[in-house]
Amino acid sequence: MAGRSQHLEQIMENQTRFDLNAAIESWRQELATQANLTAEVRRELETHLRDSLAGFQQRGLNEEESFWLARRRVGQPQQLGEEFAKADPAKVWRERIFFIAVALLVIPLWMGLASNLAAGVTIFIRNVIHIDLTPAWADVYFPWWAIPLYRGLPYVFFYAVLSIVPTIWVAVLLTRGRINRTRSALLILFKSRRRFLFVSTALFLICCSWCIFVLSHVPVGSPDEKLFRAGEVLRLWLTNSIWPAALVALIAWLLPTQNRKTPKRA
Amino acid sequence: MLTKDLVAASSKPLVLSILADGESYGYEIIQKVRELSGGQIEWSDGMLYPVLHRLERDGLIDSEWKEADTGRERKYYFISSDGRKVLKTERQQWLAVHNTLSRLWKIKPVSI
Repeated sequence: MAGRSQHLEQIMENQTRFDLNAAIESWRQELATQANLTAEVRRELETHLRDSLAGFQQRGLNEEESFWLARRRVGQPQQLGEEFAKADPAKVWRERIFFIAVALLVIPLWMGLASNLAAGVTIFIRNVIHIDLTPAWADVYFPWWAIPLYRGLPYVFFYAVLSIVPTIWVAVLLTRGRINRTRSALLILFKSRRRFLFVSTALFLICCSWCIFVLSHVPVGSPDEKLFRAGEVLRLWLTNSIWPAALVALIAWLLPTQNRKTPKRA
Repeated sequence: MLTKDLVAASSKPLVLSILADGESYGYEIIQKVRELSGGQIEWSDGMLYPVLHRLERDGLIDSEWKEADTGRERKYYFISSDGRKVLKTERQQWLAVHNTLSRLWKIKPVSI
């Protein structure tokens, strides 16, 4: 009888056994939700929690009690985040400027892409599927000055749709409450300076090859004229690369602040 | 117990004075303050770190990750030469307040 109750006790103890590592892990994740707590700060807070925990254990408390007390002593993650934000307002601004720079870089890129795609889709529908969205017989319904406008309507429509796609996407993510997950997924691109520069260079090279491809298919007359056009395109290209290049440099410079102070794990 | 304002104002001279005696880390600093004040000054653990980081940014203290004798790594803080200078002026200011209050309350003032 006694043996049985002892066995039961053991089972109950096993079922409710406190897993310190799991508890610390979940606490760590809670901290990670705070944008103002850098990886290094979180690591420092964790060493503090462990020290504090050991202190309570030395005073005779068990693992679980020690953990909860230590955790309470360290404070609420949200409160900690606020304290750190107050202590370093410049850091918050660095992050804001970082996102502004990313937006300034990504929005024109997307707009350029949307414009090209819209033109492509329009040409595809007219020349490949052979559907005329703006038949010539309808011209009579428009005054002479409105005919170019009418002819351009399919392009305007596709461009409008494509250009607002990101806005709609962001709005959907916001209403579904999934913006944070998408943000961390996208931040993988910005994980390190090297990766970001690699992605930017890759994108730039893709754009270059596209330009060269288009240029080589431009039906212009003499070789001289072709060369002249190429020079013109090169000039445009250079002028248009200065601003994005500066932005890429700014972003790359702002990037490592999130990881710079994270020391190597010994 | 100290008010929030006083805790915030006194954290700088307290941290600098502790570090002037030798390197230390967050948990130890809090323990020392608690011990020396006889429990009168209770810092919430988390509030110390923003203070430490601000002092570091201002160049008053330096930090380094080091392995403790327990085998775990900890971030140790040291006072810098600028920190010592600031501590000196802080000391004068706090003693000035202390002495003024002491005279008003008819307690023996201390020499600065």
